[in-house]
Amino acid sequence: MEQSRVDVIREIGLTAALLALVLAPALSAGQAFWSKDTPKLPMARSWVAQKAKLPPYTPRRTPDGVPDLQGEWSGAGGDNNSFLEDHDYVDVTTPAQESFVSDPPDGKIPYTPWALAKRNEILAGLARGWPGESGQRLYTSPGSFCLTAAPVFSFDAQEIVQKPGSVIMLTDDAYRVIPTDGRPAISQNAKFWLGSARGRWEGNTLVVEVTSLNGKGWFDSTGQFYSENTRMVERWTLVDANTIDYEVTVEDPTIYTRPWTMTFPKRRAGTGPSGPRGVSVASVLPPVNNDPYAKELWETACYEGNNESLQSIHSLGYKWFTGVTPPK
Amino acid sequence: MMTSRRWFLGLVFGLAAICALTPTAGVAQTPAAYTPPRTRDGHPDLQGIWQVLNTAAWDLEDHNASLGVPAGRGVVEGGPIPYQPSALARKQENFAKRATLDPESKCYLPGVPRITYMPHPFQLVQQADKVSILYEYQHAIRYIYMNGNPHPRGPIEWWLGDSRGRWEGNTLVVDVIHFNDLTWFDRAGNFHSDALHVIERYTPTGPNHLLYEVTIEDPKVFTRPWKISMPLYRRQEQNSELFEYQCNAYLLEQEWNNPASTLFEK
Repeated sequence: MEQSRVDVIREIGLTAALLALVLAPALSAGQAFWSKDTPKLPMARSWVAQKAKLPPYTPRRTPDGVPDLQGEWSGAGGDNNSFLEDHDYVDVTTPAQESFVSDPPDGKIPYTPWALAKRNEILAGLARGWPGESGQRLYTSPGSFCLTAAPVFSFDAQEIVQKPGSVIMLTDDAYRVIPTDGRPAISQNAKFWLGSARGRWEGNTLVVEVTSLNGKGWFDSTGQFYSENTRMVERWTLVDANTIDYEVTVEDPTIYTRPWTMTFPKRRAGTGPSGPRGVSVASVLPPVNNDPYAKELWETACYEGNNESLQSIHSLGYKWFTGVTPPK
Repeated sequence: MMTSRRWFLGLVFGLAAICALTPTAGVAQTPAAYTPPRTRDGHPDLQGIWQVLNTAAWDLEDHNASLGVPAGRGVVEGGPIPYQPSALARKQENFAKRATLDPESKCYLPGVPRITYMPHPFQLVQQADKVSILYEYQHAIRYIYMNGNPHPRGPIEWWLGDSRGRWEGNTLVVDVIHFNDLTWFDRAGNFHSDALHVIERYTPTGPNHLLYEVTIEDPKVFTRPWKISMPLYRRQEQNSELFEYQCNAYLLEQEWNNPASTLFEK
């Protein structure tokens, strides 16, 4: 669904692409390059202001009588989940952008003091050439290893298919099947990259509770982490025929001082640029041509094709991120 | 052009194989007259969570037990896999070195049909323009397009190939080409080249069973097309669902800090 961006990446010289993969792993997900004078990209703050002005909307229903979210939906857009808190221009993959975080209003993840120290340690050890780095190579994003975790799956583009008793989300290399039939979650002793997802309908909103997370994923490429104690509640609401308001609230008293929320719009594929609109975004390419295969999702084999990058990351001495152990 | 010729050849070889081979595997060859329910699009409804119950993942042919390997009857019809002589030698070498050579040990996508009979469930999801197969193994997804597009022009080398489907009565027939030569058929070293052409047939034989038949053609490796077949069983557990088997994550985490690991050698 982000085919046009992927094509741009394919045209970059191999050497540059490999270097970029090591330095900025999020690039492998189909990221564009950004210039220093790109206006600050809108995200949660702009979206909260926009959606406050939207008139009420009653979505079409499926034959089973629940809101019909089916179709192909864009990801969050912006810097492609490179750095989720508000930031100025960092490098070509990380332009200035508003925070994904809508609550707290300052757009910062409310880490406990212990977790904030840990987060800063990871940030200082990214070795991406950013200010304030420690000179050490510590961790790279699990995304560099083609590992999909919650909630990042939802930050990307996907197709939604609804069947009686479940909502299915499909991408070019992964899927989620979210039961909406009231079945209980699996034991919290069983842990998964994508967690255990249980959905229910509240009015026009699909509410998805995600538990049983293994705590090894990141929210972005800069080491923003959760833990295996974290619970996420996603809310998917159609606010017009072609826009889903996506919100996820993250709760974990072992590493955050309070629950916090991220939000952005998901746009129906083919209806314009992704993300909150209003900024001219240099990286958005013209719509895909009338290639009959344009709507097909073709095999990406991210992990299988990633050997060179794996070798590089390993040989550069980065460690494997196994999750955090909060103090008792 | 190439695509339609391959289609035709596949059909001819497929039919020839079905006619010529005497079935020896233990699967009933005449699907009972069963009328499956229909989807809203009017096609047979094969949706649900399915899994094999056999030992094909270890060896497609008859084999005895060994440590960690259950004995089993083969799923190949009509005698041994018809290797060309040089290919048979390579199969035997693969078997001898399977602990290190099997691409499964690197957690790569296992190819088709191998991904079907891995010891993990998978889920069929039908839409008007495609059938999607969601595999628990490696969280893999495979789209079988039924949108009127032929196979895209090659050469393309995909781990799971390019799948185009059609309905023949109650049977979902899937034509798969554009493979790479890096996957095997099982843990016993049975292999193929990038000329592999697979025709899968999914036929409902009752509310809880599919007959899975596969014709395998590869003129670089085999002397003729050959066929495997096995039942697929609907998972009966209440609340059955797909979980995760993130093979590459487990492998990388185990090997990353192991100084003796060979995974990161160029």
